[in-house]
Amino acid sequence: MKSLRGDAQLAIGVIVLAGVYLYMDMRLPEMRLGDPLGPKAFPALVGIGLIVSALLLLIERRHKVRIDPLSAAKAAPTPDEPGTNPGNGVKHSPLVLVGMVMWTALYYFCFARVGYLIATAVFLLGLLTYFNRKRHKTNIAVALGFTLVFDLLFSLVLGVPMPAGLLSI
Amino acid sequence: MESLYGILHGLAVAIQPTHLLYTLIGVFIGTMISHLPGIGPSAGIALLIPVTFGMDPITALMMLTGIYYGCMYGGAVTAILLNTPGDAAAVMTVLDGYPMARKGRAAAALAIAGVSSFIAGMIGVTCLSFVAVPLAAVALHFGPTEYFALIFFALSTVGALNGNSIAKGMMAVFMGLGLATVGIDLQSGVPRFTMGLSQLQDRVSFLVVVVGLFAIAEVSRMVEGTLGGTLHSVKVEGKLWFTKKEWRRARPAIFRGTAVGFLCGAAPGLGGTLAAMLSYVLEKKISKHPEEFGKGAVEGIAAPEAATNADTCGAFVHLLALGVPGSGATAVIMGAFIMYGIQPGPMLFHTQPDLVWGLIASMYIGNIMLLVLNLPMVGILSKILYVPPGILLCLILGIASAGVYSFNNDVFDLYLALGFGVLGYLFRKLDVPKAPLLFGLILGHTLEQSFRQALTISNGDPTVFFRSPIAAGLLFCAAVMVGASVWSKRRPVKELQQAEERIAQQRLAEEQR
Repeated sequence: MKSLRGDAQLAIGVIVLAGVYLYMDMRLPEMRLGDPLGPKAFPALVGIGLIVSALLLLIERRHKVRIDPLSAAKAAPTPDEPGTNPGNGVKHSPLVLVGMVMWTALYYFCFARVGYLIATAVFLLGLLTYFNRKRHKTNIAVALGFTLVFDLLFSLVLGVPMPAGLLSI
Repeated sequence: MESLYGILHGLAVAIQPTHLLYTLIGVFIGTMISHLPGIGPSAGIALLIPVTFGMDPITALMMLTGIYYGCMYGGAVTAILLNTPGDAAAVMTVLDGYPMARKGRAAAALAIAGVSSFIAGMIGVTCLSFVAVPLAAVALHFGPTEYFALIFFALSTVGALNGNSIAKGMMAVFMGLGLATVGIDLQSGVPRFTMGLSQLQDRVSFLVVVVGLFAIAEVSRMVEGTLGGTLHSVKVEGKLWFTKKEWRRARPAIFRGTAVGFLCGAAPGLGGTLAAMLSYVLEKKISKHPEEFGKGAVEGIAAPEAATNADTCGAFVHLLALGVPGSGATAVIMGAFIMYGIQPGPMLFHTQPDLVWGLIASMYIGNIMLLVLNLPMVGILSKILYVPPGILLCLILGIASAGVYSFNNDVFDLYLALGFGVLGYLFRKLDVPKAPLLFGLILGHTLEQSFRQALTISNGDPTVFFRSPIAAGLLFCAAVMVGASVWSKRRPVKELQQAEERIAQQRLAEEQR
């Protein structure tokens, strides 16, 4: 996605976002109270700044295409950020990440309802089963150990009790 | 003289057993974090902030600062052994560190990196002590006009110099500024962009953004890495020291790297990567053996390592004296300051001398601890490289979730952090730098207040920003920085490209084995 096409999509997305932001800003009440600007002026400048930066990105993109149309067409991805292990050109299924986000969202949904201990242990075990395969004993130990240690750390040491959920019954 | 008294006073604070213990914990965690490919100092500090809630602010900040420079110190280990920089700033160390390790001199390369970091750290802290006080004294005379110009300068620099595109840097800055406007406007009492959510009335929580953007987003990177292959490390063998010849070559490079690094750190937004790159290029230009660079030259390790560590100290000059962070990680630390109810800036030297000088003195002590930790124990510490990434990413998610929830005891923050995690992932995929967003978020409120106050004082006359010589000077500097950035981005630095290409090629070759 680190391509010129991605840049164009990003610029359009930011312009839409800035449009929504400016619309919400326009609907704010005028309350100047000795302040010549009021609460609307600064956000308006920020919204305009967003649009200008998006337009600048489109100009940058156009400039790149003009300088090197061949490489622009190829749009080879740049080396990833340091610390990554991008792999041997293996296409990772974006579904794994989508699934992970949904699993995390489900965990957050259950966080207070089911309780920290149960929700976290199940959440971690689910992730570990997928990402650390065929090491069931280690995975169970890590999931349970981490959950217990953090529950004790937050409730006893830091004085922040985690939600008990079902265990409070 | 005031600085000297300050350092002595700070040492008295820093050598208290609790402070020593937490400094040690901080530098140890920092070193461990730097050994974990994928987690940078910003994510590490963000993850640990919730753990410090019940602590005394001085102790907590000593620990968080320790994580920062501990991370910078240890970034070289993965660069040398794994051909993967532990943090972005260690990217230049890869160029000569890994080839030297492949020649069987891994131990010497690690020792050179450790000693360079130590010397640069000690000199850097000393410079910080003596530069911050006069700078803070000047900043005491700053009014809203000057503060607006100063923050404008910092945001322009960080936007223009981070990443490969000025437009994307600017975009991230404006997104951060936009996020800073969410919540009740303090001057008029009007709720802005809260979408009817009471949780957003008290602004978007800084911690939630940082954890989401840096820690949760990093998990996605690790997921891709986990599925992509495994990491191969060079073994550390032999005595962990260098020869006299190597030391003779490294010594001047360390001092030059320190000077370059501190100056880069003292300019907001330049960052450790640029400091390392400039020091590397400088060494190569003045070397009698430029052909050895890229093949395991000692100077190629010493100079960038010294520069990144001195840069860390330089970044604190702005934070402590002006209340403006000098790097992404110091922006996170500034967020921690604010969470403890402490506003960094020139008044800090008068209102919280124990904290400022204690923090500075703890950096001296932390540097000594790091040398002791890193030299004899590097073999043991590098074992963390073998922790399965599958386990690591689960633990990061677990720590991040518990930390975010504990901040307000509200599940809403968890959803928000997940949202920022997705945003962080998109930022990485679209090559948008994250640090400028953080700068915008943390400085946005002060920028708006200064802007409105300056215009209120001048009855709405915008020329007020050009009538003050300091403000006009800072705005001029901002314009120069942006112009210089446009010029430099037209001619990408060969050495940095070379480093990035080598990392990519090496990974490809190792995975084909």
